[in-house]
This record gives sequence, C-alpha cells and structure tokens, in this order.
Amino acid sequence: MQLAEQRRQKNMQTSKDRSNAGHAAVWQARLIMLVMINIAQLWILAATVDAALARHYSVLLPLVIASGICFVITLSIIKWWRPTSRRKTSTGYVREPN
Amino acid sequence: MNNLNETIKRVLSDENDVRTATAPYQAEFPYEREEEAQVTRREFCNFLGFTSAALFLGAGGFAAKAALDARKSESFAAIQINGAESLAPNQSLNFNYPAAGDSAILVRTADGAYHAYGQKCTHLACPVYYAREHQRLECPCHEGAFDAKTGNVLYGPPPRPLETIELEVRDGQVYAIGRTTSSKEHADI
Repeated sequence: MQLAEQRRQKNMQTSKDRSNAGHAAVWQARLIMLVMINIAQLWILAATVDAALARHYSVLLPLVIASGICFVITLSIIKWWRPTSRRKTSTGYVREPN
Repeated sequence: MNNLNETIKRVLSDENDVRTATAPYQAEFPYEREEEAQVTRREFCNFLGFTSAALFLGAGGFAAKAALDARKSESFAAIQINGAESLAPNQSLNFNYPAAGDSAILVRTADGAYHAYGQKCTHLACPVYYAREHQRLECPCHEGAFDAKTGNVLYGPPPRPLETIELEVRDGQVYAIGRTTSSKEHADI
C-alpha cells in the first residue's frame, strides 16, 4: 500500500516536472518570437527612415502597414498565445485536482 | 558533510567579491542585489511589447512627417553663383544653396557643361568633392562615388543619388534656381 502511494507520488512529481519544462519551453518560444519580431520592426523602421529621407513616398505606407502587422502579432503573442494553465482549461473551467 | 555543503555553497555563490555599499551614492540607491538582477519573463515580455509599439509608432511618425513634407511646395529663390562663368572645364566650385548653411558644389565637366549638386553624401552626409583625375564626385569618408553629370551613385555605400541643383544661364551668368532629389538626369546647359 505504501509502495503504491510512493509510486503515485513519484508519477505525479514526474508529470509536474514535465509540465514545468513544457511551460518554460512555451515561454521561451514566445520570448524568442517577440525578439525576432522586434528585430524585424527595427529593420522596417530603418527602411522607413531611409525611404522618407530619399522621398520615396510610395513605399512608406507598405512599410508602416508591415510594422503594424508585426505589432499586432506581438500583441497577439502577449495576450493570447499563453502556455496552457495547469489550473484552468482554455475555456476557463478549473481543472479537477489530481 | 555540513562543511562540504557550505564549501560548495560558498564556491558557487556570486556574493563572494561583493563590496560593501559605503559610498554615498550607493546609499542613495538602496537596491538589493538580487532584486536588481531579477527580471521576470512577464516583465521582459511586456518590455518587448512596448518596444514593438514604439517601433510601430516611430515608423508611422516618420511616414506621416514625410507625407506632410511632401505636401508642402518648396520655393527656391534664384541666386547667382559668383565665379561660375570663369570656371575652367574639369573644375569645381563650392557655393551655398538654397540657404546659407546648405553647401553645394558646382562642377564644370570636360565638355563645358555645368552641373550642381548638394554637397552632402547620401550615405552619412560627408561633403563630397570633385575628383578631377577621375572626373567624378567622391566621398572621402566611405569611398562612395557619384557621376558628375547625373549625380547617380557609381559605387560605394551611398543609397541614392545626390540632390540636384537646377541651373540656368542668364546673360552669361550661372544661376541656381531650384533643388530636386530625383535621380533623373538633368539637362546640360
């Protein structure tokens, strides 16, 4: 009986460790994506400044739209692409404790 | 065993060579070392979000300012370029146009035609000069070169042609009458 309890606790701990690792991986992936998008936006800003100084007005709007799309993606990553919660489901229901 | 644990903790600790906060400025900023180093993932995530917003606003701001500037029609006064009439072929002359602080360069090419450009290199705004031996405008900073007849980039890092200054000859005198930034070739006079 005691052995079974120990095994159950060990399994729970393993499951929790895996869950933590997955949680951290999702966070890291989000941060990497955000950094990459910021770099792309920096490049777009440099192109915008150069186009503005060169008076190439036709490319300004596409560049601003591209930067805006990057910002929307950033917002969506921050607001919606969250790691799954151990406590709540995606629809907001609280999970049953194991 | 306890000694071993303490030794390991002491070796791995990053608090070994920490100086005591004795200076007045250190007392005025009483941040805990651990607190200072701590940046949570959420804080970093928010920082990246704000950075993204700032970059977007920056791009939008630059584009809006450029669009506003494009609507303004610049008017340039015609000014006489002193000494231009006596300029020998394959020589250059510096002058200021349109404002007193805007340096420009007048080039008389070997065929006797006059061409004038803003003197700022379009790479990093170094002043260009006329290289007589190569018959082109060169930037000494990063080895860029421009065509003396068109202002177009021949080679080097400049991303766009020089600003062209429109010229007109009236009664044998050369006048600067306008400025354009287009890459189109201007007519010889």
